[in-house]
Amino acid sequence: MRIALILLASVCLAQQAPRYEDVMASPGKNWLTYHGDYRATRHSPLRQINAGNVASVVPKWTYHVDGATKLEASPIVVDGLMYVTNSNEVTALDARTGRRVWRYREANAKLSSVNRGVAVMGERVFFVTSDCHLVALHRITGALLWNSRYANSEENYFCTLAPLAVKDRVMVGVGGGERGMRGFVAAFSGSTGEELWRFNTVPKAGEPGADTWDKFNTDWGGGGTWMNGTYDPELNLVYWPTGNPWPDYYTGERRGDNLYTCSVVALDVNTGKLRWYFQFMPGDYHDWDSQSIPVLVDADWKGKTRKLLLHPNRNGWFYVIDRVTGEFLNATPFVDRMNWAKGMDAKGRPIEIPGLVPNANGVKICPSVRGASNWMSPSWNPDTKLLYVPTLEQCDVYSTSSQKAESMLGFSGGGGEGIPSEPGQFYLRAIDYRTGKRVWEYPMPGPGTMWAGTVSTAGGVVFFGDDDGNLVAVDATQGKHLWHYAMGQKLTASPVTFEAGGKQYVAISAGSEIYAFGLFEPVKPVPVIR
Amino acid sequence: MRTTVPLLILFVAHFPAAGVDVVVPDADYLTSAEAVVAGQKLFAAACGACHGRSGEGARGPNLADGGLIRRLNNTRLFASIKNGVPGTDMPGFPMADAKIWQIVAFVRSLSSPAIEARLEGDVPRGSAVFFGAGGCSGCHSIRGRGASLGPDLSNAGAVMTVKQMRESLTDPGARIAAGFGGVSVRLKSGEMVEGIAKNRNNYSLQVLDSKGMMHLFDARDVDSVRESGKSPMPPARLKAEELGDLLAFLSKQSVRTEAGRKRR
Repeated sequence: MRIALILLASVCLAQQAPRYEDVMASPGKNWLTYHGDYRATRHSPLRQINAGNVASVVPKWTYHVDGATKLEASPIVVDGLMYVTNSNEVTALDARTGRRVWRYREANAKLSSVNRGVAVMGERVFFVTSDCHLVALHRITGALLWNSRYANSEENYFCTLAPLAVKDRVMVGVGGGERGMRGFVAAFSGSTGEELWRFNTVPKAGEPGADTWDKFNTDWGGGGTWMNGTYDPELNLVYWPTGNPWPDYYTGERRGDNLYTCSVVALDVNTGKLRWYFQFMPGDYHDWDSQSIPVLVDADWKGKTRKLLLHPNRNGWFYVIDRVTGEFLNATPFVDRMNWAKGMDAKGRPIEIPGLVPNANGVKICPSVRGASNWMSPSWNPDTKLLYVPTLEQCDVYSTSSQKAESMLGFSGGGGEGIPSEPGQFYLRAIDYRTGKRVWEYPMPGPGTMWAGTVSTAGGVVFFGDDDGNLVAVDATQGKHLWHYAMGQKLTASPVTFEAGGKQYVAISAGSEIYAFGLFEPVKPVPVIR
Repeated sequence: MRTTVPLLILFVAHFPAAGVDVVVPDADYLTSAEAVVAGQKLFAAACGACHGRSGEGARGPNLADGGLIRRLNNTRLFASIKNGVPGTDMPGFPMADAKIWQIVAFVRSLSSPAIEARLEGDVPRGSAVFFGAGGCSGCHSIRGRGASLGPDLSNAGAVMTVKQMRESLTDPGARIAAGFGGVSVRLKSGEMVEGIAKNRNNYSLQVLDSKGMMHLFDARDVDSVRESGKSPMPPARLKAEELGDLLAFLSKQSVRTEAGRKRR
């Protein structure tokens, strides 16, 4: 059928393909990466919704994702089109109405896991399937452009992360560190799907760092890369957080620092070469993946502006690192329930308290296995110079097994268990990066089970998901409650904010639904169109 | 346990939902014409009231689109029929196991993907038809090659049955893929947009035009909407041999057949 074409630029919202320059400038009206920006400050310049009017925010639309129970994606928004994911599927929505425009489903994937969303660049939308295929779709139609398998799910790998698109390439990582595999970060050509480089987070025998594993078989060393990294365009470095060594709670044969697990690695985006690394937990046996988000800020450090990397680690310490060199600058505890380390040496290596090593009977160690913070997104407000961190105060009883480590058998080396008489408690904490001190905190009574993060805005508001299914707004300076809305579901994602059709929205994936909120407006009658 | 009773028993699975040991017939039997034809008769009598005689859905869900059935292996499909599905309107059917397996065979055949069929056409010649003389790629794409006004066919062999493919080619108006109906929109400003309606309700509509631009309309800006009610796709005017080649080519389209391009 021949179709006549008349262009109508005024109503054609989604015609600008996002370029690298646009992604570098994000977030603005759009929300173009998982973190909103490459540096993971998760701070939006939008101020239509602000501390003075946020009390008038109401739900604008809800979209139910068929079959979803645990949505983790940050919605990505490009000129009125919103992209959300569930396991093995991407849905494009009209961001103003929540109406579905297209859906891509990969029903033949061999696994079904959670998914944290898409990356966008040019005409392409990228996502990973649970069984580790990186897939490129056309952003307007959802048509498949290419599909490249990058890890074998039969070798314990599974994939959940939102890819990171930089210039002409897309970077991905893998999960599976709790079952034994070799973690890696890989970069693919965005146009063809060809692999460009791969950096192993656990070295092979003979490679640098292999001597930190004693006689342990590093083929199964873990070092998952299941959260996407952050990126400094000026340095052309990507900062990728890495997971625990396998087996997670094992105090057996893998003596040594177990590089590059529980670290952040700074990789050259062009080559994948390691520029520097910083290891938070040498030879970890707490399952303390270092997957908290590395937040990149340029800020004063003792009288001089420096390129900093801020990192609230699962181990309960808030780190400040020079992201040019990897130099350790400071670390301070950001939880009160902390008993495993009394401090850090000059290079940032923990000074552990003797006796707090998991054994067969169990040892109480704080923080818990879930960590003082985890992959829930923090945010940084450049005006208040505060980092807003979802924080869990909790201890667990850690135990270890003397069983020989065998891969492919589900062995994790032990475990951590909650203490019924000491339930966990979440807080949103505003941390002064210079001192590590809490400027304010907002408690979240609840079951201690949420995985929700934050978004900060120039309107002086911090939005975050709480531990009781609410989206909450507090003021950025003092943490005072301004607004909340109960969505009635456990939250496992972080909110975003964007503008479409001239109006600011705040959106979040909540369990099985996508919610979008905006300022109240009386509804104008809509005549029925014939 | 192995046995030699009819139906070439492969194995015995303890099936908790059934609470009994279920004897699973051989895969060849479940794809045989004998089982499918027998199952079709049983299905029409027992299941047609809710799922429609052809299984394409009525009060009960569509069993032919693959979305539901392909998630279930044969033992789970068997148990769903024998015991019903808790929390839904689907009751259990207390008939002989052998008959239930025949229904399983028929239901499975409804969404059996084309890639599993052995078609006689010539795949390279079918590709030439798709991207050349047939004109298919003027509206459809495969792995980014072609246009986007019609459904993407990169995964057609894995999601469509041969029957559905043949029907789409020879009688495209028989059913219009959701989100691909032709539409003409007149705005209050007097301007017109023509394309396909990806979505429409009383309050908004989304139209993809032939240049690949997506229009997100608020209904307050729209004066009238005219839906063609027809598929924008014309019936394929191909010789029988070309049609066979095209079917063979399309049946091979699956996004999962390609291993990693470059493994290190």
